[in-house]
Amino acid sequence: MNIVLARIDDRLIHGQVATVWSKVTGCTRIIVCDDDVAKDTIRATLLKQVAPAGIKSHVVDLEKAVRVYNNPKYENEKCLLLFTNPTSVLYMVEHGVDIKSVNIGGMSFKEGKHQITGAVSVDDQDIESFKKLNEKGIELEIRKVDTDKKVMLMDVLK
Amino acid sequence: MFGIIVGTHGLFAEELVKSCEMICGEQKNVAAVTLIPGEGPDDVVAKYEEAIKKLDCEDGVLFLNDLFGGSPYNAACRLVISNEKYGIVTGVSLPMLIEMCSAQLADDGSDIKALMERAVEAGRSGLQTFHASQIADDDEEDL
Repeated sequence: MNIVLARIDDRLIHGQVATVWSKVTGCTRIIVCDDDVAKDTIRATLLKQVAPAGIKSHVVDLEKAVRVYNNPKYENEKCLLLFTNPTSVLYMVEHGVDIKSVNIGGMSFKEGKHQITGAVSVDDQDIESFKKLNEKGIELEIRKVDTDKKVMLMDVLK
Repeated sequence: MFGIIVGTHGLFAEELVKSCEMICGEQKNVAAVTLIPGEGPDDVVAKYEEAIKKLDCEDGVLFLNDLFGGSPYNAACRLVISNEKYGIVTGVSLPMLIEMCSAQLADDGSDIKALMERAVEAGRSGLQTFHASQIADDDEEDL
């Protein structure tokens, strides 16, 4: 699998992803990798309805996401992976998925989280996972869309 | 580059550009021109001319108007009729504007008529319906 973008965005497929990222990456599939969303049949069904024209969208749990990654059938497929949180990304990386850079697009504010940029709020578990990803040398960059300047997450986490 | 001017009745144009920026980020070569109650076509023409001065319009101007036959449209016609590098598309919508903003990044706009076609197509494909009865998984290829 050719991962053209790994993005954390808890809105999953929405305007910025459907109109901007799908085009600039030239992906043929958008794969939502999340255990909770995969269990939520309504949300999963709706996500499949909003795939941009010519792009297939899928919702899978993390275990399956790793299997799909390793399936030679998708070896040359350009895939955009979407996550809701860094802990899911860490799971993938720890199970051998080659992700060199993670784009953080949006993590909404909830009770118990604190806001680090306009679009990104994190809780303790998020911070822990981001730190581990950073230790593995994975780039963690905050951008809503491709033309934004990259803001390094570790710089604003301090 | 070509310039994009969104011209509408009331503040719709300004807000539409802001909505577009929520999705595509800041747009440097897009202007919003509004017709405020009490203003007439001459005022709008003056605002268009002002906007053209501020934007990079070397390769042309694409006017996106809200209503065919409305004052912002009529005012744009006055400028478009004497310049082959200018064009108008009506029925401006968010999908249309987003498509033209991404076209602006990739296309110099030298073929204004092709851009106009592309804007119309984006506006059309932005019209979709959804109803519970439309949910279909059958053509969904499983991973």
